[in-house]
Amino acid sequence: MPSVCFYFQVHQPQRIKRCSFFNVTCDPQYFDDEHNKRVMQKVAQKCYLPANRALLKLIRRLDGAFRCAFSITGVAVDQMRRFAPEVLESFIELAETGCVEFLAETYYHSLAALYDHKEFKEQVDLHIQLMEELFHQRPQVFRNTELIYADFVGHLAAEMGFRAVLAEGAQDVLGWRSPNFVYSVPEAPIRLLLKNYRLSDDVAFRFSDRRWEEWPLTADKYAHWIHSVSGCGDVVNLFMDYETFGEHQWESTGIFEFLDYLPEAVLLHPDWSILTPSQVVEKYPVVAELPFHRLTSWADIERDLTAWRGNRMQNSALEQVYQLGRDLKSCSAGEDRGIMDAWRKLLTSDHFYYMCTKWFSDGDVHAYFSPYESPYEAFVNYMNVLKDARQRWLGNTRPETHEQRV
Amino acid sequence: MLGWEYPPHISGGLGTACEGLTTALARHNVEVIFVVPHLFGGENASHMTLVNSQGHSQKRLEGRRRGKEAPMSSRRKPRASLISRRFIPAVLKPYLTPESFKVYTASLSLSEARQVVREITTSPGDSEDAASESHAGSEKPRVRPEQYGRDIYAEVGRFASNCASSLSQERFDIIHCHDWMTYPAGVALAQITGKPLVCHVHSLEYDRSGLNVNQQIHHIERFGLQAARRVIAVSYYTRRIVHEQHGIPLDKICVVHNGVYSSEAMFKYRKGKSWPAKIVLFLGRITFQKGPDYFIEAAAKVIPHIPDVLFVMAGTGDMLPRCIERVNQLGIGEHFQFPGFLRGQEVEEMFSIADLYVMPSVSEPFGISALEAIKFDTPVIISRQSGVSEVLTHALKVDFWDIDRMADLMINALVHEELRSDMVAMAREEVRRLHWDAAALKTREIYSSLL
Repeated sequence: MPSVCFYFQVHQPQRIKRCSFFNVTCDPQYFDDEHNKRVMQKVAQKCYLPANRALLKLIRRLDGAFRCAFSITGVAVDQMRRFAPEVLESFIELAETGCVEFLAETYYHSLAALYDHKEFKEQVDLHIQLMEELFHQRPQVFRNTELIYADFVGHLAAEMGFRAVLAEGAQDVLGWRSPNFVYSVPEAPIRLLLKNYRLSDDVAFRFSDRRWEEWPLTADKYAHWIHSVSGCGDVVNLFMDYETFGEHQWESTGIFEFLDYLPEAVLLHPDWSILTPSQVVEKYPVVAELPFHRLTSWADIERDLTAWRGNRMQNSALEQVYQLGRDLKSCSAGEDRGIMDAWRKLLTSDHFYYMCTKWFSDGDVHAYFSPYESPYEAFVNYMNVLKDARQRWLGNTRPETHEQRV
Repeated sequence: MLGWEYPPHISGGLGTACEGLTTALARHNVEVIFVVPHLFGGENASHMTLVNSQGHSQKRLEGRRRGKEAPMSSRRKPRASLISRRFIPAVLKPYLTPESFKVYTASLSLSEARQVVREITTSPGDSEDAASESHAGSEKPRVRPEQYGRDIYAEVGRFASNCASSLSQERFDIIHCHDWMTYPAGVALAQITGKPLVCHVHSLEYDRSGLNVNQQIHHIERFGLQAARRVIAVSYYTRRIVHEQHGIPLDKICVVHNGVYSSEAMFKYRKGKSWPAKIVLFLGRITFQKGPDYFIEAAAKVIPHIPDVLFVMAGTGDMLPRCIERVNQLGIGEHFQFPGFLRGQEVEEMFSIADLYVMPSVSEPFGISALEAIKFDTPVIISRQSGVSEVLTHALKVDFWDIDRMADLMINALVHEELRSDMVAMAREEVRRLHWDAAALKTREIYSSLL
């Protein structure tokens, strides 16, 4: 009696303004509200609102047989509140159907798990509170930023009381095993749900690619592929960015029609059901422990961390911003909620993503979503902000010039 | 092909570009006869036939220098055969304005001037006299220095007439000429032989002088570009300016970006102990086109934040005195050095020890020096008003007039070593791809379309 589990990620970073080196503590606001508002409203029109409408329709039409899960970052919610409150309302409406589960992650969509476990937990706590406040649910399942996962992440999640954690079903980690089962984290009382990357990416990336031999992808064909897991799997985990629906795959590709037809096509086969992550964990037994020998993510072909920590600029920026946090916490600035919120918004993984130099000809995927002309400009801008922030918040008159570099 | 300089005897990027293009064309089975005003010997051009405008080839001349008598080509016209052993003067440089040309020749000492005169060919009208002169075996200068070698247009005309007379009997399919000084020669040759003419624009008078264009040069440019069957520009930027300035239709102008001339031997020079921690390099002619004044203003903003920085401006040019004065006026003289025009190994050494190369060009058709800096692991800040900014992704880019932004980028590049090393690592990869082969293939395609 296998099932399909849909999980959608909703996130928007708070992008930073253009900050010159000579911007001597005159502009207190580092975040580009104008730009962020434009983006939020655009994505709301192209994706969030129509997709939520589609899901609501599905839930009502299928009378509870269709279920799904979301993880909405705190920084995204902040922006919805300010720039597109109707989006938040539609998510609340979805929550009220009882068919939608909300997961937990770091409020600020940060890489804190890699740098500061205490900070990581604080950010997760903040996020849990938000989920309870908005949707009256206490998240039971955890997913880390960009599905970044290694065994220690599972342990951290277990310490925080979660029942399960999501991860990428990376081929080299799985080896001969299949992602279509429930696993457990070694030496921790927590389950592991693995993304079926082949089927997930068929929709998220390949759906409108005419060069793909399976184009066009119909709901029937796709449901058929899902059904062929029968007998050799318990659950097919389809984890994807929610912007697949309308942003990455435009409406004109037929993605909304696909979404509308798919659940019924899956349910045509009476053995199959559609469950939330918590329900999956309830229903199926653990088949094995699954150790992760390396850090994985759901990004790019390598499914590793090189999108955020692949070059020296990124590593340096990350080191410095976390150091800033430690410095803030060790003095009174650490009590100031405004400062801490601003600092944490600088931790959002996107800032470092924009500094990625990995694919120089294949920069398309990275480039489209970057507000900068080049990764170098992203780095320069970020470092200017850090320098200014440090001066402003810590009153450091010692400028961050080459004296520290040498 | 008509050019006027070839490595190692060069005064700018043009000769290097021609070398790169011709070597790559040779690799792709295009036979090139390359004509320059003057052969010095020592040019490494085994991949093609390199001749001066009388049709004397490099090999033939070297043979002569060793005392062997080379046979006269029967293909030459009678008039030309009377003019033997005359070379177009070395004073013909591609970047001189007529004014600076006068200044340059005035600055030669009398003996140097005599040397130049000895080498100078007579104008066509004087050929009979020259013939009688050579028969008399006299080496005495017939005319005083002031009377020729001072008018650049006469030089251009002389080059044209020599090419027309000595080359019209050569066998070739295409005439390809580089920049304005060769256009009259190209047009003449095209008219005589009926072969298609391609005019290559490496730089324009507009780039060199902005609004104060020298009308004669501007006119000669237009003359050549209009007569050509096809125009090749080194960037989309230049193509647009050719269209706007000279009214050449866009579909007549092709773009062939300059590649990078790959050289195998690249030494890593070590910075001596006496050098300061941070060196920012400006390398090029100190003239309006290259934006040296913007470099200086930006440097002034950087210095308060980076105490031990040194700005090196390597090159010579008409703006040099003004730049030195401005630097002194700003009181930043101790952070500047002006080593003059560098050649060969000196250039390599300079690129090597610099931490950052800045090219703030006001109008740069290509900017090959930026690619050369990268070969030496030096990161670059380039002006958006340059052709190279169209092809180079791994660099910091800035509008030449945005001094604040230029300073912002310079400071960040100097402070953050990780930024420099990441940029260079990626840029080297990119530059490797910008082979001259791509340029040669495109050029060959253009040739094919005209035949």
